[in-house]
Amino acid sequence: MLNRLSLAAALTLATALASATSALAQADTPQPGGKLVFVAPYGGSITSLDITATPHAQDEIVAKAMNASLYSWNADTNQPELELAESVEKSADGKTYTYKLRDATFHNGAKLTADDVIYSYNRLGDPKRALPGAEQILRIAGAAEYQAGTADSISGLKKIDDRTVEITMTDINDPGWQLMSNFAPIYSKDYPEDQLASKPNGLGPFKLANYVPGAKVELEKFDGYYEEGKPYLDRLDIMLMEEAAARDVAFRNGEIDVNVLGPTQYAAYRAEPALAENLLEVAEVYTRNIGFNPKVEAFKDKRVRQAINYAIDKDLIVTKLLKDKAYPAVSWLPVSSPAFDKDARPYPFDPEKAKALLAEAGYADNLSFSVTAQPNESWGIPIVEAIIPMLARVGVTVTTDPVDGSVFSDKLLADDFQAYIWSNSSGPDPLHYLRCFHSKTPQSACNYVKFSNPEFDALLDQAGAEPDHDKQTALLKQANNMLQDEAPVWFFNYNKAVMGVQPWVHGLKPNSVELAIQDYQDVWIDDTAPASRRQ
Amino acid sequence: MRFNFVFGLFLVSVVVLAALLAGLLAPFHPIMDADLMSSELPPGAPHWMGTDAQGRDVLSRILYGARVSLMVGVVSQIINSTIGAALGISAGYFGGVWDDFVNGLTNVMLAIPSLVFALAIMAVLGPGLPSLLIALGLTNWSWTCRIARGSTLSLKSQSFVLAAKAAGFSDWNIMRTQILPNIVGPLLVIGTLGIGSAVLAEAALSFLGIGIRPPTPSWGNMLTDARELLRTAPWAAIFPGLAIFVTVLGFNLLGDGLRDMLDPHMRTRRE
Amino acid sequence: MMGFVLRRVLQMIPTILAVVLIIFFIFSVVPGSFLTSLMAEGRNMTNADVLAQMNAQFGLDDPIPVRLWNYVSGLLQFDLGISYRTREPVTSVLGPRLWPSVQLAIAAMTFAAAVGIPLGFMAALRPGSLFDSLTMVTAVSGLSVPEFWLGLLLMYVFALQLGWLPSFGYQENSLRHLVLPAIALGVSPMALLARTTRAGVLDVMNADFVRTARAKGVSEPRLVRAHITRNVLVLVLTTMGLQIGSLMGQAIVIEKLFSWPGIGSLLVDSVSVRDIPVVQGAVLVIVLWFLVINMLVDIAYALIDPRIKVA
Repeated sequence: MLNRLSLAAALTLATALASATSALAQADTPQPGGKLVFVAPYGGSITSLDITATPHAQDEIVAKAMNASLYSWNADTNQPELELAESVEKSADGKTYTYKLRDATFHNGAKLTADDVIYSYNRLGDPKRALPGAEQILRIAGAAEYQAGTADSISGLKKIDDRTVEITMTDINDPGWQLMSNFAPIYSKDYPEDQLASKPNGLGPFKLANYVPGAKVELEKFDGYYEEGKPYLDRLDIMLMEEAAARDVAFRNGEIDVNVLGPTQYAAYRAEPALAENLLEVAEVYTRNIGFNPKVEAFKDKRVRQAINYAIDKDLIVTKLLKDKAYPAVSWLPVSSPAFDKDARPYPFDPEKAKALLAEAGYADNLSFSVTAQPNESWGIPIVEAIIPMLARVGVTVTTDPVDGSVFSDKLLADDFQAYIWSNSSGPDPLHYLRCFHSKTPQSACNYVKFSNPEFDALLDQAGAEPDHDKQTALLKQANNMLQDEAPVWFFNYNKAVMGVQPWVHGLKPNSVELAIQDYQDVWIDDTAPASRRQ
Repeated sequence: MRFNFVFGLFLVSVVVLAALLAGLLAPFHPIMDADLMSSELPPGAPHWMGTDAQGRDVLSRILYGARVSLMVGVVSQIINSTIGAALGISAGYFGGVWDDFVNGLTNVMLAIPSLVFALAIMAVLGPGLPSLLIALGLTNWSWTCRIARGSTLSLKSQSFVLAAKAAGFSDWNIMRTQILPNIVGPLLVIGTLGIGSAVLAEAALSFLGIGIRPPTPSWGNMLTDARELLRTAPWAAIFPGLAIFVTVLGFNLLGDGLRDMLDPHMRTRRE
Repeated sequence: MMGFVLRRVLQMIPTILAVVLIIFFIFSVVPGSFLTSLMAEGRNMTNADVLAQMNAQFGLDDPIPVRLWNYVSGLLQFDLGISYRTREPVTSVLGPRLWPSVQLAIAAMTFAAAVGIPLGFMAALRPGSLFDSLTMVTAVSGLSVPEFWLGLLLMYVFALQLGWLPSFGYQENSLRHLVLPAIALGVSPMALLARTTRAGVLDVMNADFVRTARAKGVSEPRLVRAHITRNVLVLVLTTMGLQIGSLMGQAIVIEKLFSWPGIGSLLVDSVSVRDIPVVQGAVLVIVLWFLVINMLVDIAYALIDPRIKVA
């Protein structure tokens, strides 16, 4: 465990903190009080105040303030860690965990008990409720049976006493990877379920004060929060702002305290000294890629897939179009992953080699395909626009198939596409995310390119059963490198998430899972904040 | 105001010429001449309107974009005018149940804002030129229809129509040869103004992410793509914005001018 | 009068039914579904079992006629269904969006009237003058700018450069937040009003009774007050009514740009995640707004101008 921790931490520190901001470096004594105006940039609204009803990052930004889960993600160590439990004991077979719960209070005054944990996970897995968060608890023993309707509850959850709960998993991997999810929070078992969407009741540092659907969520400090002296802020406003150009004006105008930046604004902010010194950057665990559907005859040929990887000058796209707000991708796993091979190099830009490979495969000038894409500026239509002329130079014709999000996934699930460009989670848990290329993973789950390679499968199976952490990482590294050679996708980039931060804001963390999701209880503002934040 | 007509005609002619001669005038290819090394260059030789984020020549894209934007405007308006005229004339001419039906349909079309309707149709058909032509062509014919109907009602009882009827002309022939030519003026006015609205609607739909299929340039998607560049590369956003403005202004002035020339009284009345 | 109102209300019913049918059919053939929208982020995978359960729960597996029947019979009891997205009744999703939308429409119209009517008036009093031409070209220009473009420029100038106004968002009881979106939305009705007013005034000034009054030596200011204003009022009122009625639907783009929590932005968001019950509800609200405003205009029309028969 320790090795994994230090490696991961070192990598994040290297990549993220190197360019971290004075807002972070200036680790003075936190001051209590004031208001933070945060922003939720992934839509003009949120789905629900009940996070278990949605799978969207946009909702997570709000939920993180109000709820807590059994584990949480430590953005500094890049590890899941205990959140609602003080301690945990692991059984000899490595599958059963006994948690000693914290003394924590819900917003309505109820105390956290083992029953709440058991209730929350059973509720998530309840087939009648059909909650997207069910995904997070499937590794608990008996969850699958419960979901399939062959059991009345999840057998792997057991109450020992009011403050002790025992959880049995189906495999030996750390349960923290899933149970830290903000989509699997602990709710109070006695709280009426029909109130969850309007009057949420969580264990988090802030409670709901006012919600204006489509505009903002206003939260206030929860005095009974379990961490002593936290949260620092009295109030937290989360603005729901989708339009980047508008966010830019609002941030410069001091109306919002943070701004999640796209490439264009990243370049603009870096060019202005006052803004440049307050940028929070992190290598996020998303891999942007163009997936090739083997339904297209040419894509069955590894040489064709490799040729496309050679033919596109991704460094140029990353520099010019994404303004360096990305890291050119090597293979599937991102740079912050413990199984990322630091010695591996991305496919070089080599159009001649691409031409040769295409000619060898019999597609010298007769390959054409369309790329299904959403409008996103970092992993959508504009990227396809940029590769069109590049691939034209090696005799490949590319067209766009622009769609909105729901049609996009509809086409993927229906296998109705030739290629797609997308941004996919590729961490933090390397085993979990490499499994997307296991031949047993259905296309509808996440093996969208129907990748099937017995050697790769064998490596992953071996890694999954490997109790020794270093050996497991070595196997995963090997699998990841094999994936690069097989090139089931065009490896484009790993996201670099960037947040503009007002100089008076402190305590934001370079969260590599999703930068916009912050531990609000640790955030504070200093004296230089404008009066509107201090009152 | 003759000025309106002349100035409007001038602006429209410039835009139409630009669209027709795009192939000759454009110094670069609007899609393939994309060099990321020369992205976001300010105006100057050889890129007289600068380059966009993809390193494409803004001027060339505006010239080719004129084709798309004009096509969207003109074709969708022709569809609207045809539907509106056909329904309006027939409703006014035949009256009765058909008239009631057309009236009801027109009320429905008026009640659903055309942008909302177009949004719904685009969601079904997906982005692209054909969908855009259909979405904008099917949703904006209610005024044409009302005016055609109103004019037909007053023409129906005129002596030349009654005479044609007595002479045994078929209904179809009367509508085509006696009524239509007499209401072509007002329809032309509405049509001209409608082209302007369609060009604007294309921009609005692009903003909502459902316009022309990239990389084909249209002014709407150029403007949408460049809206974040307003600070760093304003030329990429300002020129397409101006192109839309000039074109829509041209059609609006032309329509106003036409109206003043065709019927000095009509300008005051709304149906 | 009551009979007139009642008849107008009854006339709305077939229109509403037709709208419901049209929107229902369009969105029953729309590609993509609420379920597929759940995974568009490429971030979380939603379990296939969960998807199947949702499908059954929302009745998405039912054949179209069954769904239509369920929807219409719910509608007759003022039940708009349950939002797929928030899992709340559609009415409680629409409710909080209504007032911001109405506010924006009224504010935009106020701006349009406050600027457009005086401009049109002044232009008409000096027909053919430079002021007249300038005003009219400005008015036509107002009709020729892409809305979001205008909104962005306003944001840059008044929020960022001058710092006079907040650039975005909605705040209860805050007029300052309303100004920029209202102007961006109001420019095109302003231009229309200016043109209509001008044309109306010109018409009345050339009308026989005004010429007579003028010949009788009635002073020009009194003339404007007594005769022209009253007669133009009807025309202006009609135009304003039609405009304000359609503003709620036109506000989509402006609401998205300014993060305004109105019906329009709700509609766009709901279309993109295929939350069909809310889409239907939002369109219904927009259409009802249009119809009711038009009815009110007709009633006001009848009150102002006794020549119009109400029976």
